Amino acid sequence: MNLADQGAKAVGLQPLTASRGSQVEIPPPAAAPTVMRSLRAYGLAVVVIAIASGLGLLLDLQGLSRVPTPLLLVAIAVAIWVGGRGPGVVALVLAILSYDYFFTEPRYSFNIVAADRDHFIVFVVFGAMVGWFVSMRRRADQDLRQARDQLQHAVATLTEQASLLNLTHDTIFVRDMNGIITYWNRGAEELFGWTSKDAIGKSAHELLQTVYPAPFDEIHAELLRTERWEGELGKTKADGTKVVVSSRWSLRRDEHGRPAAILATNNDITERKRRDEKIQQLNRELEANNKELEAFAYSTSHDLRAPLRHVAAYSELLQKHATSVLDEKGRRYIALLLESAKKMGDLIDDLLAFSRIGRAETRNALVSLDQLVREAVSEVERGNEKRKIVWRIGALPDVHGDRAMLRLALVNLVSNAVKFTSTRAQAEIEIGCADGKPGEVVVFVRDNGVGFDMKYVHKLFGVFQRLHRSEAFEGTGIGLATVQRIVARHGGRVWAEGVVDGGATFYFSALKATGDEA
Amino acid sequence: MTAFGRILLVEDDPKDIDLTITALDEYKLANEVIVARDGEEALDYLYCRGTYATRSKENPAVILLDLKLPKVDGLEVLKQIRSDQKLKLIPVVVLTSSREERDMVSSYQLGVNAYVVKPVDFHEFVNAIKELGVFWVLINEPPPGSVGKPR
Repeated sequence: MNLADQGAKAVGLQPLTASRGSQVEIPPPAAAPTVMRSLRAYGLAVVVIAIASGLGLLLDLQGLSRVPTPLLLVAIAVAIWVGGRGPGVVALVLAILSYDYFFTEPRYSFNIVAADRDHFIVFVVFGAMVGWFVSMRRRADQDLRQARDQLQHAVATLTEQASLLNLTHDTIFVRDMNGIITYWNRGAEELFGWTSKDAIGKSAHELLQTVYPAPFDEIHAELLRTERWEGELGKTKADGTKVVVSSRWSLRRDEHGRPAAILATNNDITERKRRDEKIQQLNRELEANNKELEAFAYSTSHDLRAPLRHVAAYSELLQKHATSVLDEKGRRYIALLLESAKKMGDLIDDLLAFSRIGRAETRNALVSLDQLVREAVSEVERGNEKRKIVWRIGALPDVHGDRAMLRLALVNLVSNAVKFTSTRAQAEIEIGCADGKPGEVVVFVRDNGVGFDMKYVHKLFGVFQRLHRSEAFEGTGIGLATVQRIVARHGGRVWAEGVVDGGATFYFSALKATGDEA
Repeated sequence: MTAFGRILLVEDDPKDIDLTITALDEYKLANEVIVARDGEEALDYLYCRGTYATRSKENPAVILLDLKLPKVDGLEVLKQIRSDQKLKLIPVVVLTSSREERDMVSSYQLGVNAYVVKPVDFHEFVNAIKELGVFWVLINEPPPGSVGKPR
């Protein structure tokens, strides 16, 4: 069998196979190309041995009888290097057969004369050694290449991550367990004013003059325990200005689980802090103002009431004492005096109640509007037994709020409706609810009373604002202002619709109670 | 000074004093009233100090106490009365213009026996004072050591 001829036919494939073999190492190819590749590797093994044998024969004929041995050994090495272990074994076996067949006596036969047997054994041992050595070398080379590629991949990933960290607005830096800065992103450059070149290698604490909210040892202990820490820190920028940052630390451990580095993310909250302080200060001022107002309301309660009481009392004493000597006019004057005094007493009481709404703490509880409306209606009806009123009351939901305040608001709205329908032969008052914004309920009280001109709707909820003459409908003009204040304290709105002589509807919104608290 | 005032009225406003006495007069209790014009005077009376050093030592049957008073205010007077072994049994009625819940709560916390807001309406005022006088002076048995009922 002439291997050289077969090999010569296959030569065209050789460069292709060789170049493929060295290229396609790392990315794992699909199944079909793998089969093709190993076929080519085996083919190559056959071809190189064939070439080596052919060349050896040619040179042997020229009298260079020592050359074929190294040629075959080189061919084994090439086959193994390119194709790996399997093609290597094939190449080794073929080389041994070729050596036996072509280059030992008797030639062109697999028999070996005793004199050549030692040569043959030496060749086999050499071939095996070369094959083993090259395959080891090849393995090492592959490992090395794989390691290099992994490293390149890791570097690429890290570079990308680092550039992503640079993109964030947050200030990020990393320090090792000795506090030395090892990474410093662009956000850190922008906030603190040092470039990463300036910052890396410096002690973070010294560079930034960090002021801790607690002893550093405690913070550090917490970090080691929980691997995280967050809090507010005072820092100093490169230009010397102080900043307050909201800082979050994460601990990184090395592969042995030992603490290796601390990643700190910092957000500048100086401005927020300043605003918070400003708000707190304003709140304190507001509180002081409220206290002052409270004191004012208190002394109003006390001081205005006393002289008023005296006017009323002495008018009455006068009435009692001098009624016989007074004429009709005089008696009327005294009656008017008493009436005015009473009115002023009511005004003061209402005004104080109104001011109390602003000061009182609201208690947040689940309130049944159904029940509140029933209570309000029966309370208002108590003073108006003679009136003929048709009530239409729809189902109402539960809301969150202060029961006493919401009750007062409803009583005010209902008594308003009753009051302004007093000129009707039959009053009709409807109370119900409509849908508002999500999570909100809108309650309305509608009457068929005298209504009002929408032109003055903006005046409706002001203190002491009245849209009707006081002879027509008595009242202090504080009722709706009180309603508005109560609803506002509950986070809702009040509005009204009316037509002169065509009734009025008052609406207010309240927060709907969610099921989970019921 | 009358030695057997059974009502100590602590009130700074002369008109209120006048009106209170007028109301009490309907039950002929006017001459039982001792008037103290401020908190200090009230305490002087109770401790028999100053101008009251020579009065008989009995306690009044009731104290009608205004809250807003010059020098020592009503709540302070009440506090001192309640912390004194000899005085703490005296019934004290706060009689004030203040409807403030705060005042009411503090008064009750200090152990007041009643809290009456002076009504604006004179009828009601007279009725309130009369009822107070009748109850605390004529019906209620004062604690031992008080001025006794008239025979």
